[in-house]
Amino acid sequence: MPDSIFNSKRKQPVGRALPDNSNRRVEPALRKTMCSDAGRRGVRLWAAALAAYAFLYLPLLIVIVYSFNDSRLNAEWVGFTWHWYDVLLHDKDMLAAAGNSLFIALVSSLIATILGTMAGIAMHRYKMKALTFMVMTPVAMPEILLGVSLLLFFIQILNLTLGMVSIILAHITFSIGFVAIVVRTSLSGMDESLFEAARDCGASPWETFRHITFPLILPSVVAGGLMAFTLSIDDFVITFFTAGVGVSTLPLRIYSMIKIAVTPEVNAVSTLLMLLTLTIIVLASRIAPNVLQWKT
Amino acid sequence: MSEDRTRLSPAARLTKWLVSGPPLAFLLLFFVAPSLIMVLASFRYPGEFGGLAPLIAADPGILHGFTLETYRFFFSDLIYTEIFAKSFLVALATTLICLVMAYPLALLIARSPKKSRDFMVLLVTLPFASNFLIRIYAWMILLGPQAALSLLVNGLLGVFGMAPVNLLFSPFAVLVAMVYVHLPFMVLPLYTNLEKHDPALLDAARDLGANAWQRFWRVTFPLSLPGIFSGSILVFIPVLGMFAIPDILGGTGDMLIGNLIKEQFLGTRDWPFGSTLSIMLTITVLACVWLAARLGGRRRRYA
Amino acid sequence: MRGLLLFLLLLAGNALAEDVLHLYNWNNYISEETVARFEAQCACRVVQDYYSDNEEMLAKLAAGATGYDIIVPTGNAMESLIRQKALRPLDKSRLPNLKNINPAYLNTAFDPGNQFSVPYAYTLTLIGYNVEKMHKLELPTDTWAVIFEPSYLEKVKGRITVLDSQRELMAAALKYLGYSANDTDEAHWKQARDLIIRAKPYWAAFNASSYIKELTVGNIWLVHGYSNDIFQANLDAQKADRKFSIASSIPKQGAVLSLDSMVLHKSGPRPDLALRFINYMLDGSNSAELTNLIGSGNPNLDALRYIKLEIAQNPAIFPDAQHQANLEMLRDLDRNQRRILSRMWTEIKLR
Repeated sequence: MPDSIFNSKRKQPVGRALPDNSNRRVEPALRKTMCSDAGRRGVRLWAAALAAYAFLYLPLLIVIVYSFNDSRLNAEWVGFTWHWYDVLLHDKDMLAAAGNSLFIALVSSLIATILGTMAGIAMHRYKMKALTFMVMTPVAMPEILLGVSLLLFFIQILNLTLGMVSIILAHITFSIGFVAIVVRTSLSGMDESLFEAARDCGASPWETFRHITFPLILPSVVAGGLMAFTLSIDDFVITFFTAGVGVSTLPLRIYSMIKIAVTPEVNAVSTLLMLLTLTIIVLASRIAPNVLQWKT
Repeated sequence: MSEDRTRLSPAARLTKWLVSGPPLAFLLLFFVAPSLIMVLASFRYPGEFGGLAPLIAADPGILHGFTLETYRFFFSDLIYTEIFAKSFLVALATTLICLVMAYPLALLIARSPKKSRDFMVLLVTLPFASNFLIRIYAWMILLGPQAALSLLVNGLLGVFGMAPVNLLFSPFAVLVAMVYVHLPFMVLPLYTNLEKHDPALLDAARDLGANAWQRFWRVTFPLSLPGIFSGSILVFIPVLGMFAIPDILGGTGDMLIGNLIKEQFLGTRDWPFGSTLSIMLTITVLACVWLAARLGGRRRRYA
Repeated sequence: MRGLLLFLLLLAGNALAEDVLHLYNWNNYISEETVARFEAQCACRVVQDYYSDNEEMLAKLAAGATGYDIIVPTGNAMESLIRQKALRPLDKSRLPNLKNINPAYLNTAFDPGNQFSVPYAYTLTLIGYNVEKMHKLELPTDTWAVIFEPSYLEKVKGRITVLDSQRELMAAALKYLGYSANDTDEAHWKQARDLIIRAKPYWAAFNASSYIKELTVGNIWLVHGYSNDIFQANLDAQKADRKFSIASSIPKQGAVLSLDSMVLHKSGPRPDLALRFINYMLDGSNSAELTNLIGSGNPNLDALRYIKLEIAQNPAIFPDAQHQANLEMLRDLDRNQRRILSRMWTEIKLR
């Protein structure tokens, strides 16, 4: 998508406003000292940053590598094998859990995207404090609080048997916030004059939405939906409290496997799950590059 | 937005409620109501077999109604305040370590050429995309007694004549995993802030004779404080409520408030007490947020 | 459109017509062959869900889980379910094999007259140990002291795990102190708690599941665990050609006997199938399969002839009369006691 005027409204840098850092002209002598200075500092900075990246990726790489390890124990490399993936694909409980996870993620992310988009638009246009509070708090609070309060609510008030429905409702509740933030951020970066122009031309709110707003926010809506999908697939804490018996999801299966009988099958399912969420995140970042940068 | 709320036309007001209505209704039902239920539950008796005792009971022999019993129980023994203090310290330690590790990374990304910045940020976000249990499990492998790190550490300790230690199922393992899981949450807000710094300020500082350390400490660091605060909140609050990491990687003494709450609901079946603990956790979180907002707000005035 | 509806109806009808038995059982507590044979015999399907802890099962049921025909709770959990009126009484006329059960395991305090339950299997919570290591360290293995006394613990520091169970660990401590495992005197509980806290620094972990592996591998030399788990550890150790063997023993102060029984939950849709399954499991050969598989105790007299000799003669699995006298089954606690125990457990974990 071309760099349209709607994305040009950048936030001002702290201090003096400068159009672009990379074009500054510097005196050659000064540049030399700057570069060597920056060079020394740069190396140390690079080293520290590289260490941080290594710290971030090494554990995951180990998980992936050991999923191919021909040994029950995750202790040392014995040999290459596809055995654990084979076990995984024949594990009925795991496949059932995977199916549940996908179904729950699809349904909850769809509903959360719709509700979240509406919330994001309402938060931006009408500045409703109550809505903002209700949307943002589930995102900010520790997940265990939401899980536990939903458990109480489902059992005591709704007398709902915990299962698929309770999980989906719980997932929607925490996903709405993420989608709303994404949509609101994207809207706040847009040029208001567009909407005013549409109104001046006599468009009703619905027409404005359909022809102007929606196409503009579509990338963030899609990205938000993808994020909601990922959040749902990956959720552990809230699902743990609202799942009941009979419906298992992938994270719950992984948890019980970790606690009870750790085998490299866990590595295999982890690798596949990582692949899935990786694909989704990369997709989301292509569709809406600003989504993941927390530009709130 | 300059539009005055009171001057919305009827059609616009209808639109407003049509747009905000459904999410509002959903959240009222599935977020606000459960929270209120939880507050109420903390004032009730535990059920005979778990859960909650009824509010009204025909038979006076059955316990029913409201009570302050659980709050009294909470304050009757210092142990519960101890757990809160412990969770608070763990959250603080995690936040500080995350800060120290995230800062160089965020700085590097912010100072990189514009083209590579997005990619580098993506690289930071990608591990976050993997399931959080997987990330914990990865540390189970890395810290296992037969793994390279353990052998190295115990080998070194052996050289000095000290007994071997267990890296796994220890406070160390819990801390490492907490930092690992929450690091991206610190990097991203820091980066967002650092990216906006005007390099001309640093040049001015150099011209005035400041060395590298002084430039960092007197210019970059103060300007980055808002980012530090956002990142700290994003790390501190989830860690406060975390239970999975001590549950999987922790040793015998590594019980945090999240574990206690989980145990009340899924173990002892003492729902009123679990609710009380949750309410106390909520209050703690709100207090921390309020405190951070005050400190953050005051600093911002000097930026 | 009509075709789609018809297809869906057929699908639904098919699902309803199929006979399905819902079983909620412990992890690893039934042989797959046993289930498969039953499925063939009754032309039905058995759907299983698992739990690893009585508390987990009770909590899930309290959270509204329904649809289970058969559950296999331990005595105290069953007591709780009976008091909650959550169980269906058994139609003994459909259980001719009930006569196979050893009368010593019938008519328990939890279920007088066996109105609701039929014994399934039992396990003992006792001491498991690496035979070679204990011999080398000259440590006694027939007393709880080896888990609680610092003088013994020093020799095995960091090589011992205990169960991560409030009731089980407190019971072991109470037994060691000479009290009943079902003692609810708070002063006695405090003594037990202090005993545990004193011993805790020597323990490697509170572990309910992976301690078997550690025992097999040789990292852990002494455990407070379940008899069938320790039996499994020994099998694994032999299979892996380890240079040590693993044995278990009942401490002289006594131990906890966990009798698991089959019960019918009142929300189960197929009590008829459930009763058939129970009768099937009461047959000696079927009951023996579990014992042969995991080394669990068997209350079924008819099963004895099918059980492997080395298991039948293992005193830790089939205790003799002298030890039997010292075994106790845990009773359920009331809510106040649960709350106090929970606080003590928190203190134990934290201090």
